[in-house]
Formats: sequence, C-alpha cells, structure tokens
Amino acid sequence: MNWEIDVLKKYLKLLALMICVSYTFVSVTGVIVNILSGTQINNFNTFLMFVTCVIASVVLSFHKLFDDLSPLMMMALQYLIACVLIGIMLFVINLFDEVTLKGCFEFYRSFTIPYVILAGFYYFSVFADAKKDNDLIKEIQEQRNSK
Amino acid sequence: MKLNLYEDKNNVDERVDVYFTGMRPQIKQIIDAVNSDRPSISGRPADDDLDDGEEILIEPSGIQFFDYVDRKLFAYTCDGVYRIMKTLVECEELLWNYGFVRVSKQNLINIFKIKQLKPDLNMKVYAYFDSGERICVNRSYKKSFDEYLQKMRKMA
Repeated sequence: MNWEIDVLKKYLKLLALMICVSYTFVSVTGVIVNILSGTQINNFNTFLMFVTCVIASVVLSFHKLFDDLSPLMMMALQYLIACVLIGIMLFVINLFDEVTLKGCFEFYRSFTIPYVILAGFYYFSVFADAKKDNDLIKEIQEQRNSK
Repeated sequence: MKLNLYEDKNNVDERVDVYFTGMRPQIKQIIDAVNSDRPSISGRPADDDLDDGEEILIEPSGIQFFDYVDRKLFAYTCDGVYRIMKTLVECEELLWNYGFVRVSKQNLINIFKIKQLKPDLNMKVYAYFDSGERICVNRSYKKSFDEYLQKMRKMA
C-alpha cells in the first residue's frame, strides 16, 4: 500500500511539473504571438490555456499504457483522447457561456496545429536517434574488431 | 554427462577435472570455458524434446538475441535456436559485460551482432541481424539502451 502511495506521489509530482512547464511554454508563446499580432487576451483565455495544458499533460503521461503499440498509433490515440476531453471541457463551458460552432472549430484547430508540429518533431527525432545509435553501434563493433 | 560439484569454502586450489572418452565439441567447449573464464550458456536445440538430446554449451558471442516466449527462453544464433534453462534476468546479469542489453520485456540482444538499427514508418525502431531476424527496441527501454551503448563505447 505504501509502495502504491509512493508511486502515486511520484506520478503527481511529475504531472505537476509537466503542467507547469507546458503552461509556461504555452503562456509565453501566447504572449509573444499577441505582442506580434497586436491582439488581446482576457483572463478566461488564460484559464482555458491552463486547462488545455492540464488535459495535454494528463493524456501524454499515459504513454506507458501504449507501450505495445507503435509510436504513430500511440500519438493518434492520445490525440483522440485529448479531443474527447477537450469536447467535454467545451461542453462544460457551454453550460455557462455560449460557445459557437466556429469557436469549437477554432479551439480544435489551435490544439491540433501545435500537436501536429510536435508530433512531426518527435517523428524526426526517432529517425535521428536511430541513426545516431546506428553509428555508435558501428563504432563499437569496429573498435572491438580492430583489437 | 554426469556433473559433480563440490563446494568447499576452505579450498584454496580450485580445479576442474574432466573425464572423457574422446575429444568432441562439447568437451572442447568446456575446456575453452574454463581457460577463458568466460560465462557460458548451455541449451538444447529448440526442436528437440527437453529430455532427449545432449545439452551443449553455446558461446555467448555467437548468440544474436534471447527471446522469451510462453515462459520459455530461446537463444538465437546463426546456426539455430536453442532452449535455455535460465531466466532472461539471469542471462542479462551474466552477459551484460559481453554486449547484451535488454530492449524489451521479452528480448535481450547482442549489440555486436546487430547489422542495422532502423525505424519503421510507424516509428517502431528495430534491430536487424545478419540472419534476417529483427527485434523491436521498445521505447521504455530506449534510455537504458542508449546509456548501455555509451558505456560500451567507453569500455571499447
């Protein structure tokens, strides 16, 4: 039981760290974009960004559950789960304030674009890592053969 | 072959006596194992019954990878597949210094036998061997795999 509590504590600590980092990143990027484009943001948008960061961090922290699947499948599934959670979030917001169809579309687009960019970056990093490891293995094999 | 083991904590003169009828590969392998002080892995050809056939010593450097399937451990060499009566963890502990690294729950691979490390389009990374076999490098083990490669590079 103690062991399980320790694991849960570790997970929550890591999750909190992930949320802090992702929120800071998204928030600062949002500020820079707003400065450059001259648009305004209000407090509600900032809070929405925070909730989105929490959803993204929670979904991404489940990656261990998809270990047996390919990374491509894992990313697709994580994206679908995140979309469902965002749908729930928009539904809850809709209970207090009207969210138009266009608003929902814009929100999904705002979420999808960085997700695809980061997925592409991860895709590239997998191939780059494999090439680096491949070169390292060849080097180790050559060093051993030359002895 | 009958095997007698005598443990004596006070013994200062460790020795191995081999009584054999004629020099054959198995005896030669025992001699090599004793002389070189290398870890040895013994196993039976996978297609033989466990009760039949002679257990043979397998040179670790000849093993491409270990595969744990249905609670059975198999060693894949260029010559064939052998059933090993050890656990994957035991093999990992025994052979970590000989180029063997864990890449998934089921597999332990020999980095000296890897022909190529290549990702698929679905982003799964596979280690390809000369025999044409391929083993997936699980992303949970990727960090320890990278650390192992760095360590082996320094050792080499």
